[in-house]
Amino acid sequence: MAHIHLEDGSFTLTWVLVWWIIALACIGIALWVLRREKGKNQKKITIAAFVTAAAFALFQINIPLFGGVHLNLTPLVAILAGPVLGALVVLVINILSAAIGHGGWGLIGANVLINLVEVVVAYLIFRGSRKIIPDLFSRAGIATFAGLFCGNLMMVAIIMASGIQGVTQTPGQVLAGLSLIIAVNMGIAIVEALLTGLIVRYIGNIRPDILGESKP
Amino acid sequence: MISEHIPDIDLITNCAEQQDTVFSRASPWTKFLLLIIVVLLITLTSNLVVLTAMYAIILLACVMAGLPMRKIIAWYAMPVIFVISLVGLMIWNQPGNPLFSLDIGGFVLTLTDQGILLIFTLLEKALISVTFSLFFLMTTKYAYFSALVSRLFPTPLDQIFLLAYRFLFLTLAMAASMLKAVRSRGGGIIHSIRTQGGLFAGVFGLVFVRSFEQAERVEKAMTARGYNGTYAAHTTIPKPGIAECGILCAGCLAIILIFWMVPHAGGW
Repeated sequence: MAHIHLEDGSFTLTWVLVWWIIALACIGIALWVLRREKGKNQKKITIAAFVTAAAFALFQINIPLFGGVHLNLTPLVAILAGPVLGALVVLVINILSAAIGHGGWGLIGANVLINLVEVVVAYLIFRGSRKIIPDLFSRAGIATFAGLFCGNLMMVAIIMASGIQGVTQTPGQVLAGLSLIIAVNMGIAIVEALLTGLIVRYIGNIRPDILGESKP
Repeated sequence: MISEHIPDIDLITNCAEQQDTVFSRASPWTKFLLLIIVVLLITLTSNLVVLTAMYAIILLACVMAGLPMRKIIAWYAMPVIFVISLVGLMIWNQPGNPLFSLDIGGFVLTLTDQGILLIFTLLEKALISVTFSLFFLMTTKYAYFSALVSRLFPTPLDQIFLLAYRFLFLTLAMAASMLKAVRSRGGGIIHSIRTQGGLFAGVFGLVFVRSFEQAERVEKAMTARGYNGTYAAHTTIPKPGIAECGILCAGCLAIILIFWMVPHAGGW
């Protein structure tokens, strides 16, 4: 999951509560949609749990490319689980991550919102461009890059709105610093887009049904 | 184990199950509420004396609980890098006594004593939160933890959480063994994005495919045993004792005091 790589105490209580409330409202909508589909959820829940476990496990792996990167995996979660289950998966992963120090408890709300943007954008592009881009590698790669790019914009918007406690830089100076982070993140997003493309093509070759694609 | 610097879920669970100290016998509700109080306190105050006192108390509790301190310190690597990488960009040009300046293409960046103090404050806050989270996990048995999740989260979120937490051990072991296999065949050293990317994509893809297949098998097996979409955790969670209620009240009092003594503590 892409993260605001900050720990507890970075945002003021007001902003912690604001992001938590918006995130919980989004999660509430996802739960409502899922509950409406009564009787069909059993398998979905089990699959969502395994996707959560797999995504959390792989999230921890450092890939020795360009000095070492870790994947965000949110776009892949969106492609595999869809936006509704994806929303629940990102919440659980953020809670598990906060428990081991990968992002703070207070920042879960903000991080869930960033991940939700990634999930929705990646899912819409992956599903929406099926006819235009039939190749799985390219489609997943483009969806991943677009998702992560929008997630980064959301991250900047959240940090600019909330500010960081104690930081007295002007908004322009903060934006300049964040631009550097965006540049690094976009470099990682290109690597992730390539890897997600390869992963989706690999899954598509073995189990196209998982992707909701028929075998060519 | 995937890396020395990432908290080992197996070790955390082992500590929680083997613990027999006053902390493991304390009510999980007390520890959960204390976690909220700790997060609130470090959100509300930036007073280094208060933060240092909190950190010292939590570290003392960890030592008294017999937790592996060297491991915990090794696991600090990730949060420390996170704080330094982001806040490191924002500590420049803080008001205060200048320590040194950098001229980058006409932009003068000045590091002051207040900038250094800011990064120390945010680092201390991060370490307090991480240490208490690990203390909570390493002193709370799996059965209690799952019962807490079951009571706190709405359905089906609790189901996803509980099943994911249960599957996590298998999946982490599977990912670690696949990485070991890759390394034993010479992988892990940068060759090119094509070979390295393909290699890791294969590992990652296989973890997901196997997870899906396991999910399908587990779902069928659970349905055969009467699973109807409700994975219940019936463990009774001990209620907080009088002493624990006293600690919780003290924590709440500290929050009220901060609101009273520090204007705009909440940011409003």
